[in-house]
Amino acid sequence: MSTVQDAASLIPPEAAARVGTVAATAVGEVNRREWQRWAVSVKDHNPLWFDTDAARAAGYEDVVAPPLYVQYAVLGVTPLDQLRADGSSGAASGNLSFPDAPRRMAGGESTTFYLPCYHRDEITMVRTVESIVGKQGRSGPFVLVTWRTTYTNQRDELVAEASTSMIARP
Amino acid sequence: MTQLHVEDVAEGDALPPLTVVVDETQMFFFSAATYNGHRIHYDKDWARDTEGYENVLVQGPLQAALLARAVTDWIGPRGRLVTYSAQNRAVAFPGQELVFGGRVTGVRIEGDRGLVDLELSAGRGDDVLMPGTATVSLPRREGSA
Repeated sequence: MSTVQDAASLIPPEAAARVGTVAATAVGEVNRREWQRWAVSVKDHNPLWFDTDAARAAGYEDVVAPPLYVQYAVLGVTPLDQLRADGSSGAASGNLSFPDAPRRMAGGESTTFYLPCYHRDEITMVRTVESIVGKQGRSGPFVLVTWRTTYTNQRDELVAEASTSMIARP
Repeated sequence: MTQLHVEDVAEGDALPPLTVVVDETQMFFFSAATYNGHRIHYDKDWARDTEGYENVLVQGPLQAALLARAVTDWIGPRGRLVTYSAQNRAVAFPGQELVFGGRVTGVRIEGDRGLVDLELSAGRGDDVLMPGTATVSLPRREGSA
């Protein structure tokens, strides 16, 4: 058994070929109850997400979704027998597979917000694989995947633009 | 909520820190709200035996959401989050005291609004779990624009 694993060898050719391509597209409706459930799970009781009068007093048409919520408005539905062994869905990231690096964790996120989202806005997400690189970390090799994602609404207005990353380790 | 104005902030100012102890109930509801089935957040055997952690892990996106909440709580209803960035640096376990905060690194006026740059951090004791940055837009005080 080799003790030093080459980070690049963790990236199968099928995954490497996805760089520069669209990994996933999704459409979803922003829903007030769902963003309010998200907000209370963060214990974020900001009146802008809950109270129409407070939101109007602040210049909005109505209550708005928390900015970070937009990424969840587009999540689809995965039959339970199609989940990965670790229980995650993978659909939103294009089902990139790293059999030699199955332990996955979120890397980071960087988002620019352009417009608020209201109840029943229809959001289209387009996620592109920006890069897949093998790296050597303190605790061994890992794969860093970076996606670029745009979110537009039903009027084709850009709502938000994000760069997100994921780390996969052996 | 009181409204923060750009005239109220200066470089070096600290955000009021948000101190949170995440428990497994909160983690369950956050996973539900984000359609996150990853076992590492609820299956202790999986977290220990397969992923090698001592316990289930607090979701990175929950840490990111709490860090953003520290910002949106501070900027008030007429403040807006313009950019937000956070990196997962280290894991957190339920029951640990986490502190979400930051400080002002820049202030500039653009038209009738002010833009404020922030350096953010989620920490546990001296450990930085999640560094981040944000830019927020704040209203100018009446009559100063």
